[in-house]
Amino acid sequence: MKTQLAMLVDSSKCIDCKACMLSCKVANAVPDGAWRNWIKPGAAQGRLHFQPGGCMHCDTPTCVQACPTGATFKDPADGTVKIDRSLCIGCGNCIPACPYGARYRHPELKVADKCDFCAGRRAQGLQPACVDTCPTKARVFGNIADPESEAGRLYRENQSRLVRVVNARTDTKPNMFYLAATAPLDWPVEARMPSAMGLMAGATPVLRGLVGLTGLGVLAMLGRQLVAGGGRGSEESKEDAHVD
Amino acid sequence: MQRTVLAVLAAVFLSAAIVGAALAEEKGNARKGKYLFRKNCRSCHSPEGGKSDLSPNSLTQAQWTKAFANWKSLPCHGEWGGLSDEDRKDIFSYMHDFAKDSPTPAKCS
Amino acid sequence: MATTSDLRLTRRGFLKAAAVAGTGALLGSLAPAAPAAARAAASDAPYDRSAFSVCDMCFNKCGLIARVRGDKVVKLDPNPKFLKSRGMLCARGNAGLRQLYDPDRLRYPLLRQGERGEGKWRRISWDEALDLAAARMKEIGEKHTRCGMLFTAGSDMQSGFVQRLAEVYGSFNVTSHESLCLVSNNRGFLDTFGEVPFPDVLHSKYVVMAGANRFEALVTPDSMDLMTAMQNGLKLVVLDPRRTKTAGLAHEWHPIRPGTDMAFMLALAHVIVGEKLYDAAWMEEKTYGLEQLAAHVADKTPEWAAAECGVPAADIVRIARELAAAAPQAMVYPGRRSSDYENSTQIRRSFAIVNALLGNWDRPGGLLAARQVGLKGAFPYTAPWYDDSPPERADAGRAPIMFEEEGSFVHMREAVLTGEPYPVKGWFIYKTNPMQTAPDRQRTARMMQAMDFVVCVDIAMSDTAWMADLVLPAPSYLERMDPASGLQGSSACACVVQRDPVVPALYESRPVFDIVKGLAQRLGLGEFFDFNVEQFRVEQLKGLSDAARALAEDGVYYNPSKVYGIYEGRAHKTKSQKIEMYNQRYAELGLDPLPVYAPPAAAPGQSLRMVVGRNALVTHSSTQNNALLHELVPENTLWIHPRAAARAGVRPGDRVEVASPAGRGVLAAELTPDIREDTVYMLTGFGALSGGLSLVKGRGACLAEILESRADALTGNAAMHETFVTVTRAGAGKEARS
Repeated sequence: MKTQLAMLVDSSKCIDCKACMLSCKVANAVPDGAWRNWIKPGAAQGRLHFQPGGCMHCDTPTCVQACPTGATFKDPADGTVKIDRSLCIGCGNCIPACPYGARYRHPELKVADKCDFCAGRRAQGLQPACVDTCPTKARVFGNIADPESEAGRLYRENQSRLVRVVNARTDTKPNMFYLAATAPLDWPVEARMPSAMGLMAGATPVLRGLVGLTGLGVLAMLGRQLVAGGGRGSEESKEDAHVD
Repeated sequence: MQRTVLAVLAAVFLSAAIVGAALAEEKGNARKGKYLFRKNCRSCHSPEGGKSDLSPNSLTQAQWTKAFANWKSLPCHGEWGGLSDEDRKDIFSYMHDFAKDSPTPAKCS
Repeated sequence: MATTSDLRLTRRGFLKAAAVAGTGALLGSLAPAAPAAARAAASDAPYDRSAFSVCDMCFNKCGLIARVRGDKVVKLDPNPKFLKSRGMLCARGNAGLRQLYDPDRLRYPLLRQGERGEGKWRRISWDEALDLAAARMKEIGEKHTRCGMLFTAGSDMQSGFVQRLAEVYGSFNVTSHESLCLVSNNRGFLDTFGEVPFPDVLHSKYVVMAGANRFEALVTPDSMDLMTAMQNGLKLVVLDPRRTKTAGLAHEWHPIRPGTDMAFMLALAHVIVGEKLYDAAWMEEKTYGLEQLAAHVADKTPEWAAAECGVPAADIVRIARELAAAAPQAMVYPGRRSSDYENSTQIRRSFAIVNALLGNWDRPGGLLAARQVGLKGAFPYTAPWYDDSPPERADAGRAPIMFEEEGSFVHMREAVLTGEPYPVKGWFIYKTNPMQTAPDRQRTARMMQAMDFVVCVDIAMSDTAWMADLVLPAPSYLERMDPASGLQGSSACACVVQRDPVVPALYESRPVFDIVKGLAQRLGLGEFFDFNVEQFRVEQLKGLSDAARALAEDGVYYNPSKVYGIYEGRAHKTKSQKIEMYNQRYAELGLDPLPVYAPPAAAPGQSLRMVVGRNALVTHSSTQNNALLHELVPENTLWIHPRAAARAGVRPGDRVEVASPAGRGVLAAELTPDIREDTVYMLTGFGALSGGLSLVKGRGACLAEILESRADALTGNAAMHETFVTVTRAGAGKEARS
């Protein structure tokens, strides 16, 4: 059976208590100043409305498109968008590429970081940290491709009223579904893709191969510099020592 | 056990003059009363003591008032010999103030 | 345009090949080094073990499961079997491990050097500390009688041991946080129903919530159940001078004029009685005083109330009718904190009376009696009697119906300051912070200065500890073994919780049980503490055969005791033995047997009324130094309506000075239409004096500094909504600091 892990949220239950934000922060050692999830304040029919959210593990993720190394990718095994830290070069392209601002640059690890649906907790049979901590149980998590799971059942039963929060110009097909009405709707921004990507995406395989080999050459030169001592590595860490 | 106590007391009251009200209005020291009750009465009036298991909320305020007004008619009045008037008043205050129909504050929980 | 997957294959495949070709080392030196990759895995690693405990970040005591890796607690998860919390753990609960690992934590006993409040300390040993404290307590007892010592313990599962020490030591002078919080509310409901009720929110259909803010001031299960019930059709009407989150999420919000709730309630009663919207048979059988009430509210028309409270008359009529139509599954939510007005007890009486009219006592969706939990008292004792004891507590007689065991903190403070009726010269404080939580901080400081000896047991150097003579470090809840405690969860549960250490106590911290036992032994009172916590617990659980197993396996024990119908055949603890709308004992004491309305004081000049309230990320004054919570709430701000701000010349982004006859403070102004023009609001617990709270020292302003010392006339409960303040511009942005 196909697996698409997803989050279903009844935002009408959200009281903006921020338990989900702190639970996530603690469970995933998210650094000061960064958050892997959020609650957007809104209004509906003259009353307050709060919308919890986080990385949407989109079907057509712009963050993946923006990544030059393929460190971030959509894993067909479970449908989540992952970050392979060993391949991430910290270029930061993916961060403005996300319409939801779901990604951040980890100040100590120097890589891009974001929600991974608490992979470590799931491996132990636990729910993602934001899900079980919620006072009003506004979030339901699971495999929406499995009709027998709670998530799958909710997904199926609410097909006609599921809402995805998307930017009009960048629909990344998010896998976070709001059950019925939610607010605010117009907050995701258009994805900002690195201009080079656009060019490369349209280029022929031959041109791309040439660019790739040039890149290899640059790397080799850098390698020689590093072996000789000093250089780019230490400059970068000085610049990034400022954590805010 | 408690029903028997109540029956005895009721019988005593019915056949004795009621002096209660006047006596009740002079308040004793309920704190000392608690200490005196425990020291003097509890040894018998407890599950291990052999007599009726009594505590303030065994009776209502009115019932305590009557009981203490007529203490000389109580079965154990002989044991009360060592108590001064003031001691009796103190014990009465304790029983009365924490009686069955005295509002019981809840603790912050 | 190439697809995402094409790009992925191209780049990933290319790079992997390159790595194989031998440039892997070069790539590795550009990418984060191997140590980072190892660190990255750390938070994903499996937990080594899990342990039950019970949260202590507020008073609710939600069951939790602590997750441990190595010797560190790394996550606090909810206990899914914990019915009272509906299986959740809030933001503060999650932040609890930062209390355990707070670098500012007290580590060892400290003895004051220099002046009180100077912050100079000398580390001493526990033996020295306990010897000193016992000696001082003995001295004070001899010089001023045993009532010369004041004992104040906060809301904690070990506080009962502090009370035991106070009693066997021989002092009547015991206070807690309760007279800074809810004694007037308890009194009002107690004197109507004979006990303090627990609302069954989950099964209610209509709730009028006056002042309470359940979606921010979290109370379990009420806060969770309120949302569930709303999803199931409950209508929520909120009366509050502020548009809190509860007000904003409610079906209806009325920005009621502060201090006029009684007018609203009396008008509700007027409509319900006048239009005969009550169950006459039920009222006849269960209540006393309907006739008197009818006469009392005859002239309390909705029009009259509207002029007083600002809620339109038509709405008052409609709400009364809607409440009655939903009855008995309808209520005026009792609330909890009632440290507001000088007629607070009578205000709450008016809440209770409307509930009586709705016939909701002891029934689904209404107000419930305390359920049986089944814990036994352990190691009973008869405290010695000291013949030289004064007749009463030092605060006795200053309010007619104070609770014996609680008294009134503000009246006790006056007793200390005046030395009347007798001197109180020593203070044992555990896990409570009156310097921040009592109104008029300068007065509390003077109270502490008036003492000969103050010992404060806490986990952090609170402002109160900062002013003490001897500071003793206690461990957090995750390091303690605690006695069993019973919790009332209305229709959710009646349960027993306890704590066992998840990790060993850090530094030299010792639980307060060990401290009071040590003191008792030195004072010749060791026989009253001739046990340890484990033995105490065994005694407590003796009547509950399944409790020990349930606590070990599930982290909680449930007593499946009766929920509804507890009062079948049972008399109410009132003079008439019924629910007394007309309180006969009040009449006997010369107090108003039915609540009599008086309009709140008018604001002098251009001043604004300060109100107090809560936030889901802050617990009074105890969580501000928690790094996780501090990130979200680094300081407090003054909520002020834009028009009121304009009149004071205050613009968005400005800092303001807030001043009252009691004191002043400077903090950032938050211009918002979510508060009445005549009202201002700021969070408790900021503007700390203590040099031992590095995140919160000097941040924001201290509400306690600004609030005047006022009290409810009947119980002495602190009245914190009676302070009028002037607001003046103190500078733009970060210019001005307090």
